[in-house]
Amino acid sequence: MGPDHVVADPARLLVYESDGLTQYRQAPLAVVLPGTTDELVEVVRAVHGEGIPVVPRGAGTGLSGGALPVEGSVVVGTARLNRILALDPENRLARVQPGVVNSRLGVEARRHGLHYAPDPSSQSACTLGGNVAENSGGPHCLKYGVTSRYISGLTVVLGGGAVVELGGAARDPATGLDLVGLFVGSEGCFGIATEIEVRLLPLPGGVRTLLGIFASVEDAARAVTGIVAQGLLPAALEIMDGASIRAVEASVYAAGYPTDAGAALVVEFDGTDAGLDEDVARAVACCREAGATDVQHTDDEGQRTRLWQGRKKAFGAMGRIAPDLLVQDATVPRTRLPEVLEEIMAIGARYDLHVANVFHAGDGNLHPKILFDRSDADELARVERASREMMQVCVDAGGTITGEHGVGVDKQKYMRLVHGEEELAAMSAVGGAFDPRGLFNPGKVLPEPEPA
Amino acid sequence: MSEVGILGQALAEHADRLMPCVHCGFCLPACPTYVRLGDEADSPRGRLHLMGAVVEGRLDPASDAFRVHIDRCLGCRACEPVCPSGVEYGALLEVARDVAARARPPALPTRLLLRIFGSRPGRALFLGVGAFLRNTGLASLGARALPGWGPFRSARFGLAMLASTERWEGLRWIRATEGQEAPEDPAPPTTGPRVALLTGCVQEGLYDRVNQATARVLEANGCQVVAMPGGGCCGALHAHGGDLETARRLARTEVRRFLDADVDHVVVNAAGCGATMKEYDELLGGDPAESDAGALARRVRDVNELLAELGPRTGAPVPCRVAVDHPCHLLHAQGIRQAPLAVLKAVPGAEVRLVEDADECCGGAGIYGITHPELGGRIGADKVRSVRATECEVVATANPGCMMQIGAGLRLQGAPEGVMHPVELLDVSYRRAGFYDEERDG
Repeated sequence: MGPDHVVADPARLLVYESDGLTQYRQAPLAVVLPGTTDELVEVVRAVHGEGIPVVPRGAGTGLSGGALPVEGSVVVGTARLNRILALDPENRLARVQPGVVNSRLGVEARRHGLHYAPDPSSQSACTLGGNVAENSGGPHCLKYGVTSRYISGLTVVLGGGAVVELGGAARDPATGLDLVGLFVGSEGCFGIATEIEVRLLPLPGGVRTLLGIFASVEDAARAVTGIVAQGLLPAALEIMDGASIRAVEASVYAAGYPTDAGAALVVEFDGTDAGLDEDVARAVACCREAGATDVQHTDDEGQRTRLWQGRKKAFGAMGRIAPDLLVQDATVPRTRLPEVLEEIMAIGARYDLHVANVFHAGDGNLHPKILFDRSDADELARVERASREMMQVCVDAGGTITGEHGVGVDKQKYMRLVHGEEELAAMSAVGGAFDPRGLFNPGKVLPEPEPA
Repeated sequence: MSEVGILGQALAEHADRLMPCVHCGFCLPACPTYVRLGDEADSPRGRLHLMGAVVEGRLDPASDAFRVHIDRCLGCRACEPVCPSGVEYGALLEVARDVAARARPPALPTRLLLRIFGSRPGRALFLGVGAFLRNTGLASLGARALPGWGPFRSARFGLAMLASTERWEGLRWIRATEGQEAPEDPAPPTTGPRVALLTGCVQEGLYDRVNQATARVLEANGCQVVAMPGGGCCGALHAHGGDLETARRLARTEVRRFLDADVDHVVVNAAGCGATMKEYDELLGGDPAESDAGALARRVRDVNELLAELGPRTGAPVPCRVAVDHPCHLLHAQGIRQAPLAVLKAVPGAEVRLVEDADECCGGAGIYGITHPELGGRIGADKVRSVRATECEVVATANPGCMMQIGAGLRLQGAPEGVMHPVELLDVSYRRAGFYDEERDG
């Protein structure tokens, strides 16, 4: 591997000191960018051989610090491992390298009338290897489920450099224990997937997208409750609050969301074309009942794409408002959304922080976005305290500390809000089975043991 | 203040423009260098992070890291239209290049070229020699004779670029067949805007035929084209190359020259120049000429843009297949996507096929093929492959740098496809339609 692909110059390493979560900065010892699976395995063997930890990194778009280097580590980047190895329309499977960008697989699958369902908002940039590590979701996981449902097999390099194959569609249902299920969502702590086998779905015959405009987030949340109570199963149910709408509408991804709205609700139905219009009519009625000021729907591809671009780029668009941003991630039971939101906004106000909200309302997955300036130490401390209180509120409401962004370094300190010591010990033991010396992404996910 | 501090300060003045980057990474897949190298230091986000580190005093602007990665950027600005935060990457890059160049002189070819193009006699001599090498066939001979490795690679590519600026004669043999007569033309428009044409440096020296075609096509569409003696350089090369001082000097001259001409529009047929001129007020920010620069910038139009606004007359049929590639400085910097297609639509019989990944840089980027032969060569080879896959006779692109880059790539492969500016094709169509007086038929 040439000098272009092994980075040790401290100045060059600066660009790797953060991922999508910028409150933490830690440069690694070195960054290695293997171009083949063999190179990757060699690198892991060599680095682990020296007892040096490895931090896997895809596109560095994660929001919990999963790809943040740990002190004295070597980052192994998968950007160059970006080949789609096979696409098998008959069996609806694809086999990819970990550095393939999520939406690129979508584009290739579409040529065969297929799609890859998990659609994280960063899908235009994030890699499938990263999706496997974080068990990523996305707006459409309400109906389709998260990444784990679509990973049928993995080739992984484990601690020390052993290469093993897990699962495989041909062996489905899995004989023995479901190691693929364990590996997906392991946040880079078990190993690195070198090849990923994914399931693809046929493209739905019809899609309808509905946009409801509301005076408040509470009204929009009531509409969501109504739609679900009707027994409807939308593919996605998304809410954006006024602050998020205004940021998006000021960006290149402006989609025509009204900037004076208190909240926008996006509802999407897909599937067999017959019956979709009826579903839309029922959802429209729910919106009106909840006090929508305007409801529109469309089956136009261009308009749908614009609406979704606006929704998915809302995080990045926040850069227009403040230099730094923490995208929080938590879940609550859907019915408790309105009250939890109210409490979250109150916490923001109490700590004098600007908070904007986008969330996957259908599965109760909240993303409060806290805006701040990292150069203001006092503000940074308030962000930290407000985050903890927000997590506590969600847990108290019967939810948990992450819906889809992972624990990484950002949520470690909240793990004990939801997990007991025995459970944490079991997780640690499982990790030890894959990576006995703890040299993959150490110090992430699991909290420091309680002092005796 | 130390030298490092002063240079950091130059970037720090633009800190409010660095601030909107929230490190989301959505720009990574849009960046041709990141996509090929996989190193985040070669991504827009990484480069912005390096600029931020200079501002924070954590990175020396004379360091290898800063120089190499800022220099390796193509400046294609494909990251701008995908950035949700609207980071003004192009403007920041120009400042970063200037800071890097002041901290440590750039590579010799860049320095030489900027020096040569900074003075009128320099440009005239350089482009005169270039035209001589091309017209005598020496450039073509050299491109064929030199080997494609080691120190010869850059020279060979440079000569191929020169040779590729020859007029492509391929259309001469393509004639309209029976039933493809020119449509009845309504009376030609007479009350178009008064326009002046930037004849430019490279354009005037090597692509005078494109300037001629531009003037004819504009007149045929009713424009009153004002002759502008003594074509200057707009400063785009210097602004993109890290010499803002010279860029500003050249820009001031052009602002005066064109404002004095008192025209409705300044028409530019080189996308790189148009992008810079539309941002003259940015370049001359804080300068006494700033408000004049703004007044001029608002009058600048790309020739495709103006023709599309006017609704170009339809000419006579020119049956051919045309591959269209978007110049980055037209698409990403000026946001113009449809206009060249509208121009080609006025040529009956021209079947337009968009090059796959037409939104991606061809690797031209000034003299990138010479300063970065390896990477520029890879990016160029990918573009040539996409162009050839369209199975067209000719590729149309509205920027001299792209015309030369793609032209050189095709030439070195011995490929028969020609390269034209979109208005050249419209010009052929107009001539066949008899829109021009015979004596002007040049």
